[in-house]
Amino acid sequence: MTVPVVYHPSYQTYTFGPEHPFSPRRLEMLTSLLEALGHPVPTYDLKPATREEILMVHAERLVRRVEGCSAGEIAADVEHYGLGTGDTPIFPGMDEAARWLVGGTLEAARMILRGEAREVLQLGGGLHHAQYDRSSGFCVYNDLSVAIRHLTRSGLRVAYLDIDVHHGDGVQWIHYDEAEVLTLSFHESGRYLFPGTGAIHEIGKGAGLGRKLNVPLEPFTQDESYLEGFEAVLEGALAWFRPDVMVIQCGADAHFLDPLADLMLSTRAYQKLFPLIRQYVREYAGGRAIYTLGGGYSLDATTRIWAMLYLLLQGHPLPERLPEAWRHHWEGQLHQALTPTLHDAPDAQPKIPRRPEIVRHNRQIVRRLLETVQPYWK
Amino acid sequence: MLVKDVMRHPVLTVDERATLRSAYQVMQDHQIRHLPVTRSGRLVGMVTDRDIRLAVSPLAEGGPRHLEATVGSIMSQPVLCADPLDPVEEAARLMRRRKIGALPVLEGEELVGIVTGIDLLDALVTLTGVEKPSGRLEVRLPDRPGELGRLTQFLGREGINIHSLLTYPDDPKTVRAVLRVGTTLTHRIADMLRVEGFNVVWPPHKPGPK
Repeated sequence: MTVPVVYHPSYQTYTFGPEHPFSPRRLEMLTSLLEALGHPVPTYDLKPATREEILMVHAERLVRRVEGCSAGEIAADVEHYGLGTGDTPIFPGMDEAARWLVGGTLEAARMILRGEAREVLQLGGGLHHAQYDRSSGFCVYNDLSVAIRHLTRSGLRVAYLDIDVHHGDGVQWIHYDEAEVLTLSFHESGRYLFPGTGAIHEIGKGAGLGRKLNVPLEPFTQDESYLEGFEAVLEGALAWFRPDVMVIQCGADAHFLDPLADLMLSTRAYQKLFPLIRQYVREYAGGRAIYTLGGGYSLDATTRIWAMLYLLLQGHPLPERLPEAWRHHWEGQLHQALTPTLHDAPDAQPKIPRRPEIVRHNRQIVRRLLETVQPYWK
Repeated sequence: MLVKDVMRHPVLTVDERATLRSAYQVMQDHQIRHLPVTRSGRLVGMVTDRDIRLAVSPLAEGGPRHLEATVGSIMSQPVLCADPLDPVEEAARLMRRRKIGALPVLEGEELVGIVTGIDLLDALVTLTGVEKPSGRLEVRLPDRPGELGRLTQFLGREGINIHSLLTYPDDPKTVRAVLRVGTTLTHRIADMLRVEGFNVVWPPHKPGPK
């Protein structure tokens, strides 16, 4: 069975300008690569999320300000709402552009609730930093939390998994005291990287206690150590929580080429991660999952990782080399060389001298996290 | 950050005629370790849970006191105090130097609060904490006038909001500045700072697109 894909060209209207890393080019490159590989991505019959749907997780005062910015009527205090900053600049039409992305993730949730699909790939969204009353880190509205809330209001228990290199803070805080939402974020430690949160002691509060999990990894963590921590935490948590559905933010910025962060994953790690996630989805979540995109700022690496996600979900074989015509076109557009193969070149990764120390530290983090949360898993 | 910002109030106290048993019970009930001791409402001493446990133990000098002995007979005096307007680091230095765990806070004669080592740890957490989504920049600056100004002016020009800033001596000639800044783009900022001649410790330089 193929996995339905939710995608709409209007996703590309979510753009902060040509110099900004969260670029619609990523979608353009991805969809054109898939097409060149013989898998054109059809436009899904989609509507943007409504204002009321955004208000399921966001403060009206934030929405009002986004709408103002969108229409060119910029309130004096928008910076307090994270808008008009270097990270999340204002652009005309930003409210609707953000609602398109939310609409896609929400539609994926509806497809699962209607029983039309067990797994859905949302080819966009993943705006995990947006908080209740604050846009943050390129994220205007939180599509993930809108979808999660829609699922929980329909009576489902949701496990949210976040493999973006940045902590999934927005999703964590919005559902921090909710018993029916488990969040798990694997990220570069907030000691070093934005947004600074995601420490192991952030474990939820009230009914949500023990149900918010964070694995803050050392900078320069590589495939093996990442996968070791991933398996050690995820399987136990899911076996205990037994979600009805998973929502998975597949940010691609933990790759070593990413210019914004310091983890060192290769494409080989993603080739293991995606099937592993699917295996857990089948074993512990009734086979139901929504996959979204997210961060990923090396155009070269991000396109290859998300193409791999698409191909693995559809059960298509992975090509070794990328289509030449596609690559030459984009090398011309970007004025940079692109990796000619789906996987990284074998010798592309730099040597990491601190490696044993990093492995040891990550192991200790995982152990301390499990010691902290497991007493609540009863 | 001042003592008045981190101190606890109102303050629990005991009269000097209270028994060791009752003073110890007050500390147990409220999960505290320090009690200011008063005479007619005026501060005259301090007593800790440890003072009381030692006083009634066989290890006490001159033999164990009776549980019904008065607090006044074992309290420490004179009392070291803080003023509400003292900076927290001054309170910390005093407590460190005199090896004490708490300072009553006096405004004139009136006992208005108490500050303990734990409150100072809380202050450290606040000072170094992450109140808003932010990234980290760490820069080694030459220890001379104007360097920190040059750094903050650069960030100001780039529209980067600084959420917190800590500096500490590095080696005799340099100072480390650790900043939490409201941006995900710390690598980009770091590279720009390097071009300006700053010695950026974190984040490291990453090679650009091939």
